[in-house]
Parts: sequence; structure tokens; C-alpha cells
Amino acid sequence: MKTIPLEAFLTVSMILFGLGLIGIIARRNLVTVLMSLELALNAVNIALVGADHYLGLAEGQIFALFIIALAATEAAVGLGIIIAIFRLKKVESTDEIRELRG
Amino acid sequence: MGRLLIFGFFSILAILSGIGIITLRNPVYVVVALLSSLIAVAGIFFTAGAELVGALQLLIYAVAIAVFYIIVISAVPWEKAKKSESHYRFEGLISLPVVLFLYIEMIVVFLLGVKASPEGKIAKFIEKFGNTEVIGAILFSKYFLAFEVVSIVLLMGMIGAVLIGRKESQTYEDDTA
Repeated sequence: MKTIPLEAFLTVSMILFGLGLIGIIARRNLVTVLMSLELALNAVNIALVGADHYLGLAEGQIFALFIIALAATEAAVGLGIIIAIFRLKKVESTDEIRELRG
Repeated sequence: MGRLLIFGFFSILAILSGIGIITLRNPVYVVVALLSSLIAVAGIFFTAGAELVGALQLLIYAVAIAVFYIIVISAVPWEKAKKSESHYRFEGLISLPVVLFLYIEMIVVFLLGVKASPEGKIAKFIEKFGNTEVIGAILFSKYFLAFEVVSIVLLMGMIGAVLIGRKESQTYEDDTA
């Protein structure tokens, strides 16, 4: 039954998480930064589901469901904040938002 | 063996789309790359035997959240950001050693922790009842409090997004340009 080794899941998860981290640090567009964050969350989901596949548990899939729900919340709040920032300051680059005052 | 081939195909697709997310310049192309990556991750879930998580990944991530991003990109003009993103970016250079350190740390943790893994106790139940039933039974008994907390967090996020994104008519009267 276990034809896919755990190392394969963890390798894919590591590579995707690193790509997401690079995107979070290096991109300028606020929307793109949020999308890189979604990629990192998906990498964590792959690790959880792969560990379930290896160990024969079901807890990791439950936590993956929680992560999906929290990612939906994060997307809603984050995109709302981006639209509010754009309305107030007319910028959407991470370099131009230096102070926290609206 | 066939499962491994399918897993390899989906993981290569996910990694290529991830590279596209961090390199493509046009935000609409980035959304398309993110969509492709999410669908590939759902394929990985299906090959791992997690049907419920894969289906919810397709439904919530690949449909709802991707459409949400496209709506926000169409609401925010991004020509200026596209221009400024072509400039030299110093933080991109910093991110490479950070990612390298993260990779080394994860390899060490994996090598140390793979020995201490427990044996599967629920595997018998999964073979007997099927994946979705087992997840539902555990979710609504052992993790019921966490489930309710997640639903409250979703409700708070929904209200917060409405409050943040609401346009107040008095404040933005001169917002014609």
C-alpha cells in the first residue's frame, strides 16, 4: 500500500516551502506576497498528509483541513487590508508602506 | 509504481508552478501559476489517499480563494507595481541564505525525528471504514473544540474583512481620481 516514501513528500514540501519563503521576502507586490504565503501553507499541508500516509494516522488530514480554513480567513482579511491600504495611500508595493498610521 | 509516477508528475508540476509564482512579473500570470500549483497539490493529496482533503483543496483553494485573488487584482491597479518589480531587489539576495538555512534545519530535524515515529494505530479503521468516515469521526469527537474555534475564527475573519474593506462615504468624498 505504501508505494510513496515519506522522503518524497517531505522533499516536495521543503522545496515548496522554500519557494514560498523566497516569494514572501523578495516580491514587492502585496497581493503576490499573500499568494506566496498560500504556497507555503500548501507545503505544510503536503508534509502533514504525507506523514499520515506513512504512519497510517488521520490526525494530519484534520490539521490540514484546519489550515485550509485558516488560509481562507487569512486571504479574506489580508485582501481586505490590501484594498484599505490602496484606498488610503494609493500604493500597493511593500516598499512604500513604511508607517503603521493610516 | 504507477502511484509513484503520478506523484512525481504532480510534484514536478507543483514545483514548476511555485517557481512561476516567485518569478513571473504580471500578477494575473502569478494567479494562474498559483492555481496550477494548488491543483497539483490536490493531486498529491489524492495519490496519498486523502480524498477529503484533496476535494476540499480543490473546492476551497482552487476555486474560492483563486477567484478572490483575481477579484482583488482587478480592483487594484498594478501597472506601477509591475514596473517597480523589475528593479534590482536586495532582499531577494538575502532570502537565499535564509532558505538554505531552513533546508539544512529541516534535513537535520528529519534525520533525527524519523526514528521516533509511532506505529499506525488507525490504519485498520481506515481500511475498514474509509478515509472520510474516519476523519469525520475523529474531527467531531476528539477535535470538536478545535473545530468550533476554527468556525469562530472564520466568522471573525469574515466580519473583519467587511469592516476593513468597507468604504465610508464621508472620508473618501474627494476620491474621484
